[in-house]
Amino acid sequence: MTECVECGADVTLHDDIEVGEIVDCTTCGAELEVVGVAPPVLDRAPELEEDWGE
Amino acid sequence: MVHVNVGVLYSRIRRDEKLLLNELRERDHDVEKIDVRTERFSIAEPPASLEDVDIVVDRCLSTSRSLYATQFCDGYGIPVVNSHGTAEVCADKVKNSLALQNAGVPTPETNVAFTKDSALEAIESFGYPCVLKPVVGSWGRLMAKIDSRDAAEAILEHKATLGHYEHKVFYVQEFVEKPGRDIRVLAIDGEPVAAMARSSDHWLTNAAKGAETDVFELDEEAIDLVKKASDCVGGGLLGVDLMEAGDSYTVHEVNHTVEFKALNDAVGTDVPGRIVDWLETKAAEETSEVTA
Repeated sequence: MTECVECGADVTLHDDIEVGEIVDCTTCGAELEVVGVAPPVLDRAPELEEDWGE
Repeated sequence: MVHVNVGVLYSRIRRDEKLLLNELRERDHDVEKIDVRTERFSIAEPPASLEDVDIVVDRCLSTSRSLYATQFCDGYGIPVVNSHGTAEVCADKVKNSLALQNAGVPTPETNVAFTKDSALEAIESFGYPCVLKPVVGSWGRLMAKIDSRDAAEAILEHKATLGHYEHKVFYVQEFVEKPGRDIRVLAIDGEPVAAMARSSDHWLTNAAKGAETDVFELDEEAIDLVKKASDCVGGGLLGVDLMEAGDSYTVHEVNHTVEFKALNDAVGTDVPGRIVDWLETKAAEETSEVTA
């Protein structure tokens, strides 16, 4: 469990989170990037860019 | 089983990358996650993160970063999949279409124009509807199905004023009447691993747009086209997109940083397992070439 940087609500995380993974805040809907795992640290995820894709 | 030190270039860990990382770790391979947003690439020597890797897997979300990062790996002499050559062809719809056409792979008729006027002429020559696509982009973004001259003029005006020069390269394509679905094939060096149909009421049937997915059985013709499409872009781990056109197929594009989570959910094949099998083989080949 850690705190959403957007709204401050608790965000529940899986046990196997990875740095670079994106999680959604179920309270405010913000996309959050996992920037640390021990302890878990979240930051706002980058906005979609035009050249993203597959 | 060969032990491999795999470098994974990324900027976002999607479910695809997570499946891949989990598979690599379950097989006790070493994994070096390389966030390209924080890495620096010298033209002279590789960054420390790349020094000990046997093979690099490009999973960059950003096409521009993918292109440069793979080129740096080439420059350092570090094996990378997919290769920079493959990325260069697949990242650009014009190059992609030319490669397919030149290889004799059926692909939608396409015109490229560099001004609004010549683009409008191309659109009028196709008739309505036809399709206008950005030359770089994915997930169905900024794709326009043009139903009238009025719409064409408006969209061309918008594209011409968007700012980036790539929007002034007008990629105009015939509209293919497909049966409400297209086909995504994940292939490794031309060999299909799994295939799914992506169905939607919308003309765009990308999984990223929420299309429904279901397993699809490839026939001999489709298998042959997948092989040719893969070969003509340089091979590797690819997402080949086909549409059913009458009693045949047309290949509209080949993707080089293919997402496979939707495919993995839709089919019984262990997609990340097959990808790691291939990485092990590639790494072993590279090692034997170096030691030979």
